[in-house]
Amino acid sequence: MKARVILAYMRKEFTELARSKLIYLVYLVPTMILLLFGYGIRLEVTHARVLLLDNDTSKLSIHLISKFEHSKYFTPTISHISEQKALRLMKQAKIDAIIIIPSSFEKRLLHGQKSEIGIFIDGSFPMRALTIQSYIEGTILQAAQDFGAKRGLNLKILINQRTLFNQAMRDEDAIVPGLIGLVLLVAPALLSTLLIVKEKEKGTIFNFYASPLSKSEFLAAKLIPVFLLHSITIFLLFLLALYIFEVPFRGNFLLFWIASEVYVLISLSIGLLISIITKRQIVAVVLTVIVTVIPGFLYSGILMPISSMKAESYIEAHLFPVMYYNHIVYDTFLIGQSFHSQKNIFYLGILVGFFLFYFLIGLSLLKKEMR
Amino acid sequence: MIRFLAATFIKEIVTFLRSPLLVLAVLYFFTLDVYIAGAGIAVKPRNVTIGYVDYTGGRVSQKILSHFHAPEFKKPKPFLDEEHLKKAIFNKEIMVGIIFDRTFAVNYAQGKKATINVLLDSTAAAQSFITLSYLQNIILEFQKLPLPLKLKTHKLFNQNADTHMFISLAELLSVITLLSVILTAMVFVKEKEDGTWDLMLLMPVDAKITILAKSLSQVIIILIGTLISVGFVILGAFHTPINGSFWAFVLLSFFYILSSAGIGLFIAAVAKDTMQVAQLAILIMMPIIFLSGAWTPIYAMHPILQKLSLLSPLRYYIEGSESIFFRGTAFTDLWPYFAGVILLGILTFWYGYKKIGRLF
Repeated sequence: MKARVILAYMRKEFTELARSKLIYLVYLVPTMILLLFGYGIRLEVTHARVLLLDNDTSKLSIHLISKFEHSKYFTPTISHISEQKALRLMKQAKIDAIIIIPSSFEKRLLHGQKSEIGIFIDGSFPMRALTIQSYIEGTILQAAQDFGAKRGLNLKILINQRTLFNQAMRDEDAIVPGLIGLVLLVAPALLSTLLIVKEKEKGTIFNFYASPLSKSEFLAAKLIPVFLLHSITIFLLFLLALYIFEVPFRGNFLLFWIASEVYVLISLSIGLLISIITKRQIVAVVLTVIVTVIPGFLYSGILMPISSMKAESYIEAHLFPVMYYNHIVYDTFLIGQSFHSQKNIFYLGILVGFFLFYFLIGLSLLKKEMR
Repeated sequence: MIRFLAATFIKEIVTFLRSPLLVLAVLYFFTLDVYIAGAGIAVKPRNVTIGYVDYTGGRVSQKILSHFHAPEFKKPKPFLDEEHLKKAIFNKEIMVGIIFDRTFAVNYAQGKKATINVLLDSTAAAQSFITLSYLQNIILEFQKLPLPLKLKTHKLFNQNADTHMFISLAELLSVITLLSVILTAMVFVKEKEDGTWDLMLLMPVDAKITILAKSLSQVIIILIGTLISVGFVILGAFHTPINGSFWAFVLLSFFYILSSAGIGLFIAAVAKDTMQVAQLAILIMMPIIFLSGAWTPIYAMHPILQKLSLLSPLRYYIEGSESIFFRGTAFTDLWPYFAGVILLGILTFWYGYKKIGRLF
């Protein structure tokens, strides 16, 4: 009987959203986040600017330098400036690393005497420094092993490595699925967080107080249009991941889809909850950014796998919905166990629980009277 | 003129202070948020989980495994057979699986080439890549290959590659960006939503003064927040060194905040309500952050993106702040950062200023 009222309310919400000229932002924002972060986060570093101070200029040192010249990871410069000048270049952020090959490097090596190569790396960006360090050390050690092999020193233990899920070690495969978890948490919440507080600030909330609509009907009317809009986002992100970033999809689409819809509902109810407890739109927006972006990044497993977290953050990660959703997303994209994995089913159940939890709190806090 | 400027300025500060939830949220961003990010995120491989299956007697294999220890690795966990190990990797409970099969011990004892099988979950690419290079180093060490070459590696400015110092600072810089854009835009959009903005522009007082006072008030709020954050969190909690000049940082921050406030002005001019501000702010800030070189070094970007990154004020601010805090760059060598921030600041502020100052 009230279905007509709800429908009318929904139509009003839809028109309001569509009338604001920036409706396309609903889709532009998630797309932008995915594209920029997907292309933007690179864990490998290419073209690191390495300054080689070759004090030996022997056959061996030139051979070593050529290893750097033939790698996509480095853009080497060979120079004979003083170490002081090199340091100043680093302070001006013009180079990332200095490698110093000592004089009589070749002579000592051929005589079996110890020789030291100095490596100085700009540590201002620690992750980048570590990566560059492992590249440089790897390159030099590899050259040393080749050198050793020629002189009859062979390794006895070999490592036969097999990389699972992401054989090519592509950053896209590792990061893009996790980004879907971030985007679907931030974008719907950011939209729904204004739904009620907007009416409060404008005073139009009194229409609801005076209307025959019940609380749950009001929420349904508010949520359904936004929910439908973001259901399309799910497909949009899925297609972007598949065709732009070429992430393989090995699992079950149905599982991905169900999990994503539940997850959007969670995100919407987080926004709604904030909308109900705040009085000003700016506060609602800022609060939503706080509660979605941080867990979306920190506890999502994108930057740091959940299994390597320390006790406190391990527990905190379990308190946010991101981790559970991302497990399912990574499984459906890269691993492909889908419904066979009990863990996936269990996590899906937890997601439903999250939604009910947030929604019911929101419902109980919403008052249908003047305050 | 000056009196009006001061009055509007003070009015905006008071309005800000009157919303306790907003003050709290801003304070949260500048203190706890920066702290949580600094303390919580570590991209360095830490506590990497290792599982192993050992079909050998265990003398050599256990010796190799004993090299994996805290803080980089959790204690290797034994598994009965390959099936169980694989299942744990598929459920993301284990990141690296090591399998010593029967031939390993035999071959090793006989002095033949022995092979260790390693399974890596490469969705955590950074962690598994570094784990692999650790493993290679351990085995190299283990065999005591008499190579007369030694590598002496030093990481300058941050010896232990302490990510806390770096991430807390990076987070502060993004908080500054986020808040200066959103707060500035909101001050104006709120009046638009209330319908008072057109009245402001029509008042006999020069509209330019109103805009200046309003935006300056937000700039000062953010600057104070920045100082609080640097004092309590960056220097206080994480003991980040400040090798360069502190005042250079304050000055650089001021110009940078001004340039993001200019972006806020522009957003306020285009947007009609808060929802649009929120969405536009994200839309405009993403490329600025992306092109700043915070995640991908600028020289590793596509050449076109490298050119575009010149337009991101954050690029100069991040590199400048890093230089001041860590590299201890001399004041005279900081000029490119100041030039970049000031130039872009003038541009964005001037454009936003002009745009918001028009009647609708």
